[in-house]
Amino acid sequence: MIQLQDVEKMYRGKVHALRGVSLEVMDGEIFGLLGPNGAGKSTLVKIIMTVIHATRVSGTLLEKPIGNRKILEDIGYLPEHHRFPYYLTGKQVLHHYAALANVSRKDRITRASSFLSRLGLNGWENKKVGSYSKGMLQRLGIAQALMNDPKLLVLDEPTDGVDPVGRREIRDLLAELRDEGRAVFLNSHLLSELEMVCDRVAIMVKGKVTMQGTIESLTQDSRRYEIETEESVPTWAKEVVDDVSEHLMVIRSDDPAIIQPILDRLRRDQITILSVKPVRENLEDLFMRAVDHTDTPGAVQ
Amino acid sequence: MQFKALLIDAYRQLSAAKLFWVTVGISVLVVVCYGSVGFNEQGISVLFGVWEIESEQLHSGSPWARGLYIGIFSSFLVKIWLAWIATILALISTCSIFPEFVHSGSIELTISKPIGRLKLFFSKYLVSLLFVVLQVAIFCLGIFICVGLRVGEWNPFIFTAIPIVATFFSYLFAVCVLVGILTRSGITALLITGVFWMALWSIQTSEGTLNRFVTEQHVSIERFNEGIDNAEKDLAEITEKSVDDFRIPKFEKRIETFNADIEESQELLGKLEQWHTPISWVLAISPKNAQTIGLLDRWLSDPDGFDIGAIMSGDMSSIEGEEVEEFDRTTRGARERETTRRLRDDYESRSLWYVIGTSLIFECVILGIASFYFCRKDF
Ligand SMILES: Nc1ncnc2c1ncn2[C@@H]1O[C@H](COP(=O)(O)OP(=O)(O)O)[C@@H](O)[C@H]1O
Ligand SMILES: [Mg+2]
Repeated sequence: MIQLQDVEKMYRGKVHALRGVSLEVMDGEIFGLLGPNGAGKSTLVKIIMTVIHATRVSGTLLEKPIGNRKILEDIGYLPEHHRFPYYLTGKQVLHHYAALANVSRKDRITRASSFLSRLGLNGWENKKVGSYSKGMLQRLGIAQALMNDPKLLVLDEPTDGVDPVGRREIRDLLAELRDEGRAVFLNSHLLSELEMVCDRVAIMVKGKVTMQGTIESLTQDSRRYEIETEESVPTWAKEVVDDVSEHLMVIRSDDPAIIQPILDRLRRDQITILSVKPVRENLEDLFMRAVDHTDTPGAVQ
Repeated sequence: MQFKALLIDAYRQLSAAKLFWVTVGISVLVVVCYGSVGFNEQGISVLFGVWEIESEQLHSGSPWARGLYIGIFSSFLVKIWLAWIATILALISTCSIFPEFVHSGSIELTISKPIGRLKLFFSKYLVSLLFVVLQVAIFCLGIFICVGLRVGEWNPFIFTAIPIVATFFSYLFAVCVLVGILTRSGITALLITGVFWMALWSIQTSEGTLNRFVTEQHVSIERFNEGIDNAEKDLAEITEKSVDDFRIPKFEKRIETFNADIEESQELLGKLEQWHTPISWVLAISPKNAQTIGLLDRWLSDPDGFDIGAIMSGDMSSIEGEEVEEFDRTTRGARERETTRRLRDDYESRSLWYVIGTSLIFECVILGIASFYFCRKDF
């Protein structure tokens, strides 16, 4: 779907927003790009959507070189902080942008009503967008991005300003869209969100992708078991486990066979085991680790 | 389809800003007032006969009635209503089209669609102009019907006002668009366009004034030379008959005065040329909106009719229909009449290419800069 190699963007005024970004989005997956504010996520998305010109770019988008306008017919885009003309109604918004994307009138009519109801905007289609709430505008924006029946959906902060119920609905919708065979490229700074829905993620810090892969594989190394005991941890434990504290033993492994002998030995020593937990680093830990490596967030000036 | 979408969008944007409809409303009102003027056997009736004025010349069927009626259109309605008031209203209602268009958050939505930026820019520009054209067209249609009903002349040349006013407006709108996309502010665009318009107006007025003075000096020099020739001829004749005729010193004095006048005029001409030449060059490369509007007079005027524009500028000769016989071609009055005639001929002889062509080149340059910026910009 998307293959990018070595994308560079230097804004006028010498902001080096992207410093050699490479990433790949496969067919039919939800790909999340995460990073702190100012990391360059929106910049990357805008380059894909031809909204800004990259200083250097190579790669393909739907098998065509980046910058080809024709393929935009097959891509849906929701920009960050989008603003619809205040004088349009929800339905008119959908028709207007779909017409610009060369969607036939017949398709526009059927899709508009189907997406409006799918995004829970029934009853609002004939109201001016000026009266919409932030969450509704966001949904309308997603509906707008879907009007051309895209193979690839590019969403910049799709859940920005949406309440928890709405977020959940959007997440479910994204999963449905993936199941329909569309690829979704979304970017967000809300980690829990991505964790729940993304098949693969890339972490971007200061204009560089520092990690990329499935959440599973990225957190592989950090898997461990934690054993909590009521009494103090016995002294022999120091030799067999990786980390000990007063009531806690940590074994860095995701293989349950390794902890069985340790549990046997604790039982033999009459130590009360309060809990045995398989622990996996979550996206937040991973993210903090990535950001820490490169100290303060923000682009290089 | 994309063009149609932009067209519908521009329509919705303009009609959401009530001013568009207010302008249409005022236009209709102006047309109705115009249509309320009529002619009968006795004279003119105004406001559908509320007020009747008896007149010998102006009654139904007289060529003067036709001249007056069309003259009101080409001199007042076009020059004051279309070229000033309606243009200002149109600028106010269209000045924010481009700033809104490139507003961050909405431009991304449009520009990420499968449509080239250049095409997008010019479509948007044309669409905005189209609505101004539509307004003028509605107005002209009304006028056309009024003229047809009132003086029985179905004059298709009235519709030439549509392209003329559209061209005139497009010079200003190009500047408005350029400023609008550079600053993303409708008010700034409007103000700077206003300043630009005033600058154009000053250039055109000063060129006109200077041109009048320069032409006046040329005419004077010519006429004084003529006077010298005549005086010398007369002098020779008299001298041949008698060397001490009492008129000889008078003629000599006269020649002397003419020579002094010529010198004075030439000196003045030198000074004036210094200003006139650069200003006429500036005018040559800037849009000539007054002259563009003036084209309408050329196309609508009826050589046998009644020229209201000429009456306003104080030239009665076209009404009297014949040239005034000049007894002494060197008097101030004679020179002034000649100057006025030459100026009129001068402006009327300026080709369509000079008036519209150079103005359009200016417009293209402005649009070129604006579209280049639009295509290159990182939104
Ligand atoms: N139009 C622009 N001109 C100059 N600098 C910009 C522009 N847009 C973004 N930037 C800078 O580029 C960096 C990346 O911004 P952005 O891509 O919006 O980050 P993110 O979406 O990850 O929060 C920031 O430092 C921002 O200030
Ligand atoms: Mg962003």
